[in-house]
Amino acid sequence: MTGTNTILEFRGIAKSYGATPVLQDVNLTVESGDFLVVYGPPAAGKTVLMRILMGLETPDAGTIHLRGQDATRVPAAQRNIGYVPQSFALYPHISVHDNIAYPLRLAGVSERDAEPIVQHAAEMLKISDLLKKRPDQLSGGQKQRVAIARGIAKQTDIYVLDDPLAGLDFKLREQLVDDLRGLQQSWNATFLYTTSDAIEALTLADRVAVLAERTIVEAGTPEQLYDAPERIETMRLLGFPQANFLPGEIAERNGSLVCRTPLFEFAVRPDNGAVSASHRSVTVGLRPESIAIASSGSANGAIQAPARVLLQEDLGGEEIVYLDANGVSLMTVVRHDTFEGTIPDRITIALDPTALIVFAPDGKRVGQGVPVGHV
Amino acid sequence: MSEIRVEGLTKTFGPVVALDNVSFVFPESEVTCLLGPSGCGKTTLMRIIAGLETPTSGEVYFGDQRVTRLKPSQRDIGMVFQYPVVYRGISVRRNIELPLLSQKLSAAERQRRLDTVVQILGLEDSLDKDITQLDNGTRQKVAVARAVARQPRIILFDEPITNVDAHSKLQLKRSFKELTRQLRQTIIYVTHDQTEAMTLADRIALMEKGKIVQCDEPRELYNHPADVFAGWFLGNPGMNFFPANVVAAGQGLALDAPFFARPVPLTGNGQPGQITVGIRPEHVVVHASQAPNAVEARLLRKSITIGRQYLLAIDRQGQALKAKVPPSVGVALGSTVWVELPLDRIVLFNEQGRRAGLTPSELAGASAASTAARVPAGSV
Repeated sequence: MTGTNTILEFRGIAKSYGATPVLQDVNLTVESGDFLVVYGPPAAGKTVLMRILMGLETPDAGTIHLRGQDATRVPAAQRNIGYVPQSFALYPHISVHDNIAYPLRLAGVSERDAEPIVQHAAEMLKISDLLKKRPDQLSGGQKQRVAIARGIAKQTDIYVLDDPLAGLDFKLREQLVDDLRGLQQSWNATFLYTTSDAIEALTLADRVAVLAERTIVEAGTPEQLYDAPERIETMRLLGFPQANFLPGEIAERNGSLVCRTPLFEFAVRPDNGAVSASHRSVTVGLRPESIAIASSGSANGAIQAPARVLLQEDLGGEEIVYLDANGVSLMTVVRHDTFEGTIPDRITIALDPTALIVFAPDGKRVGQGVPVGHV
Repeated sequence: MSEIRVEGLTKTFGPVVALDNVSFVFPESEVTCLLGPSGCGKTTLMRIIAGLETPTSGEVYFGDQRVTRLKPSQRDIGMVFQYPVVYRGISVRRNIELPLLSQKLSAAERQRRLDTVVQILGLEDSLDKDITQLDNGTRQKVAVARAVARQPRIILFDEPITNVDAHSKLQLKRSFKELTRQLRQTIIYVTHDQTEAMTLADRIALMEKGKIVQCDEPRELYNHPADVFAGWFLGNPGMNFFPANVVAAGQGLALDAPFFARPVPLTGNGQPGQITVGIRPEHVVVHASQAPNAVEARLLRKSITIGRQYLLAIDRQGQALKAKVPPSVGVALGSTVWVELPLDRIVLFNEQGRRAGLTPSELAGASAASTAARVPAGSV
């Protein structure tokens, strides 16, 4: 499991607060130089996991291996990790400059050596003109940028950024996403980054680890997780707009498996015999972009169904189209340059059955749709 | 109903200029969205129109009536805030009816108005419930129904769906569209969310630093930004900008930059010098192999984005460019790509960042090329 380039490993981490379990059996390996995003909904336990790594919380069970050593009992100050905490506190009585320089001073970096580092960090976060100010003279967004600068100013090989862009306005986030990614690449450092924003995770990550239901349910490259999720949580959480889900029932017909949904039925190819007629109730996942708006029943080999358009939401470059198909709510997304004018109220949707992913009641992927005529 | 006219509105808070000499007309029976980043002055402008804030100078008119010195209660306005303003301890029906009782309406008219808003907002099942039994999204619907049923001259919405859950958001957006379509009231809707503005507005007034910088229909604003701010602020990600040279070419002028295969002849008013080229990421055409009008560039990174399109980070001779391409295009790309900027999609800006008086003169040939590169109608 542990590669030669492994810089960090969580093994079997568990943590409860009183009777409330927060993390259970968390296992995750981080390779040196990776930009790894721990992605999950708010309150999934991301911050607790990062605080355990920083040494600010003690796990109830499990170990942390850092740079090849068991670091579970190493005091926080000796772990040598750059840290941008989710709720940060700047020192109110000293300048922005000194706030950024503080971790360097703690690490014993001389004032002369620290100066260019502080200047560079400030420049990157576009706060050079704020260096002489005090935190109470700054806006919320400016304070957040100071906190990021302070976290990345530390000279080390691994940085933890705990949802650093949360609450910032959209356009500033767009800019900082580019800057952080560029910084990580030019330093060739390991970044561990948490977020609950799917597009932010997909944009930044070399690898994504999905944290849901108190544990890492799946980890892989953005393409792996997006195109071939093994768990329903991964498909549900990782994507924008979010995936559609339909209830399904599996039945056997002429020796083949068929899945019936309220809208259509389709032939199923089981994964290694994982699905059978005994999986009666399943959930079928379908990405919005896999639903096409058919011109007029012309699509070949596609499943079709009539639908009513409830709302078109204009993202600028794309539109999210909210649909009602025989009482089932669906979402699709179309690029703005692929249609002219408005979409009619009543349409026909078309989809390729291979886009249908079948999940068992326990959330594990068990099969996929088969092209029409290839049962 | 009446139009709203503001003339020379300025508002300062100490040294901070929140509104800077704004003159503007909000047309009758239309939804105008005030859109802009935090601190742009949109909320201040709305509060002055509501009478919750007094302007440092300037006037506010509803139709022909000057209302600048009137109290909010004297202005005949309805308001919906970020958090629902509703009365606890009484039913949904009473919440909506109460403001109607102070008006001289027949019982039949009162009932008709109640029925209309209840039906559009889908509140039939909640009518006899107490407010405390409802979730936040439904409470906000009641707040909307209250404001709308009274049929005031003007209705102001201040980020009304920022704090409701995703499901209620969708319902509120649908109801809002239906309400405005049926009732055609004069509405000002304040938001920082571009998708909300693009989806709900008849016209968007884009604000920056205390001024309205552009007001247009949503698609017009998106496709033809009047300045670099509008190009940057709208879109996800916003417009690409890069410098280019305007050079003399024969009798006229041409545009020269690394992303163009050859100088692009220009028409219009201008002179040789530097200019800024803008193009939206989804309008950049990227090929896996050599193509006419395309230039070679390096693909630095591709990542999955909205609807599994690819967001590409491209570099040519040190100039960065973002492109957003369909999955089928993105998946085939290696580290060397060929990039084409369709001439009907580029927008030129002068040194002040405003739309330049120059446009490419060969639009006919270019749009044919870009249309061919677009994917057929259907999904992403």
